[in-house]
Amino acid sequence: MHAVVCVKQVPEQNSVKINSDTTIDASGITPIINLFDEYAIEEALQWAEKNDGKVTVISLGPDDATDSLKKALAMGANEAILINDDSLGQVGAQGAAKVVAAAIQKLGDVNIVFCGKQSTDDETGQFGPALARFLGWPQLTYVFKVHELTDSQIVVDRALEDTLETVEASLPVVITAVKDLNEPRYPSLLKIRKVSKQPIPTWTLSDLGLSADSLGGTINIAKRTPPPPRPSGEILSGDVQTQVKELVQKLIESQIL
Amino acid sequence: MIVLNTPWRMYMDFQLTEEQQFLRQTVREFAEKELAPKAKDVDESAQIPDSTWQKMAAAGLMGLPFAEEYGGAGVDAISAALAVEEIARACGSTALSYAAHVGLGSSPIAMFGTEEQKQRFLRPAASGEYLAAFGLTEPHAGSDAGSTRTSARREGDEWVLNGSKMWITNAGVAGHIIATAVTDKSKGKRGISAIIIPQGTPGMEFGKPEHKMGLRGSQTYAITFDNVRVPAENLLGKEGEGFVQFLKVLDGGRISIGAMAIGLGVAAMEASIAYAREREAFGKPIGAYQSISNMVADMATELDAARLLVLRAAWLKDQGKPFTQEAAMAKLFASEASERACRNAIQIYGGYGYSSEFPVERYYRDTRLLTIGEGTSEILRMVISRGLLGELA
Ligand SMILES: Cc1cc2nc3c(=O)[nH]c(=O)nc-3n(C[C@H](O)[C@H](O)[C@H](O)COP(=O)(O)OP(=O)(O)OC[C@H]3O[C@@H](n4cnc5c(N)ncnc54)[C@H](O)[C@@H]3O)c2cc1C
Repeated sequence: MHAVVCVKQVPEQNSVKINSDTTIDASGITPIINLFDEYAIEEALQWAEKNDGKVTVISLGPDDATDSLKKALAMGANEAILINDDSLGQVGAQGAAKVVAAAIQKLGDVNIVFCGKQSTDDETGQFGPALARFLGWPQLTYVFKVHELTDSQIVVDRALEDTLETVEASLPVVITAVKDLNEPRYPSLLKIRKVSKQPIPTWTLSDLGLSADSLGGTINIAKRTPPPPRPSGEILSGDVQTQVKELVQKLIESQIL
Repeated sequence: MIVLNTPWRMYMDFQLTEEQQFLRQTVREFAEKELAPKAKDVDESAQIPDSTWQKMAAAGLMGLPFAEEYGGAGVDAISAALAVEEIARACGSTALSYAAHVGLGSSPIAMFGTEEQKQRFLRPAASGEYLAAFGLTEPHAGSDAGSTRTSARREGDEWVLNGSKMWITNAGVAGHIIATAVTDKSKGKRGISAIIIPQGTPGMEFGKPEHKMGLRGSQTYAITFDNVRVPAENLLGKEGEGFVQFLKVLDGGRISIGAMAIGLGVAAMEASIAYAREREAFGKPIGAYQSISNMVADMATELDAARLLVLRAAWLKDQGKPFTQEAAMAKLFASEASERACRNAIQIYGGYGYSSEFPVERYYRDTRLLTIGEGTSEILRMVISRGLLGELA
């Protein structure tokens, strides 16, 4: 088994501040591994351990995305690859999926890919499905539990809106992980020492036989509007009797009761 | 006479390596998620859950500075100090038991043990199978540890120990205890040896965990030895080396205690900053008043200075240079700076600071030990001044 985990480095959510001119204040941003990708890494590691397999983590991002790759290596991944190219600055989910698919094909022997169900920054949820399409593999999205995984087949539960669906598929396959699929481990302090010295290869578009214009359209953010401030609450007055009565009335009016 | 401006003491490079930063960040995340949410309960229940130790073992913390071949992670002294700081920032009790496990209960074996002792005792401790303890202090021998009364006499292939110990962190729950004992009374301090006693050895009994002001989750025990027999090969190093050994062990231990003090101080400072911004009095956040903001400035300055001292001592240790004086200064300054920070955090919180609803009173109770354990402030001042003045009288 050779599993690839796609890891995106994203800003920690509460570290993002918007300037008064609605640009993003980059100064206080703490980069972290996308939450859902951590579950993907853990699941890949667990099954690779059981199947005597190998895990490669791939990130498409700037040079400092190696921090996230090193974390994944310290969790136990065997290899890491950074894909970075000047022309990838504005790449959208579709383009990114095409590039990563090319990298997975270049690796050759990969038979399963784990992704998070979406990233916490762009929230498009397109990457996993698009990757499956470019690879021509089946996709199992919203995976909530993996029951069985061998070199030829996989059985998972998918958490859909109101049903839990148990699905079997043959490999190769692309999986997207939901939260609480498992409990991601902490990086091993022993591995941190080794990983700090492990070089991480960087692949560019030309390494993958791709050109910038083969990636389709880019997406530009035309405007950013911060959410309106929350209206302040209403404080009921009077004695407890009247307050409760009024509260119940309001709850009924707003159809909560 | 110690000369403080010898070349290595002038060395300056404040940049942590990538590895040290990565390790610090990892321990911080671990501590924030796994330790901090339990800290209040650990204090109130006077217990650290087993699951905490299991998780720390899985992450590789329990043997952090020891060689990989003995189950450790092989990190340098700087990284080990940063780890203790992060643990203490989240939970003082866990930090003390951890520091005692690594610095006192395990490191003597790494430093002075035979290969066989390392396999038998360091490996399980470093891999987190069990906690380790170090018993030096006795009811009548604290600062004056040279006046140890516990004795060990040789009978055939065994040491037979009699006597008692006091204030031994982790002892009742440890897998082994390293105890100092007099093996030759005629030689004074040179007649003290260190002996490793496995848990469960007949004749070794523990009192109930002591009721303490702070660090309550870290269990502290009195021990009695009543004809406790261990094999001769459990002697650590050579006979009569115990005194010199523990002085060396305490040098390293003081770096840990200094780091622990910083962690608790930083927790108090962070809590103070948050509160000083939010709490309003006379129409302004209290942080807008200089009396309050000056306290925050002093906390930051003193804790930063403390960290520089602690990391310098750790750096010297990593370089294989002498660091006794520097470790003493670091522990002295850091523990006293931390106490001031925690005290002032309560002041900033006002009445709420005095309530156990908020963590600052716990930080204060916790840090209060640190000017006492592993060398009181008074003893440390003595160590430092003797290095400068020589022994007068
Ligand atoms: C929570 C806790 C955990 C501990 N864990 C351990 C452990 O794991 N292992 C272990 O061996 N010990 C442990 N100790 C013991 C600790 O190291 C001793 O308490 C400490 O060394 C002080 O000894 P003492 O309590 O006997 O005080 P004393 O030595 O009796 O000191 C009393 C006072 O006299 C002062 N004093 C003493 N001599 C001098 C002098 N020459 N000049 C000036 N002032 C002096 C001291 O500074 C202090 O103020 C622990 C203690 C506590 C409270």
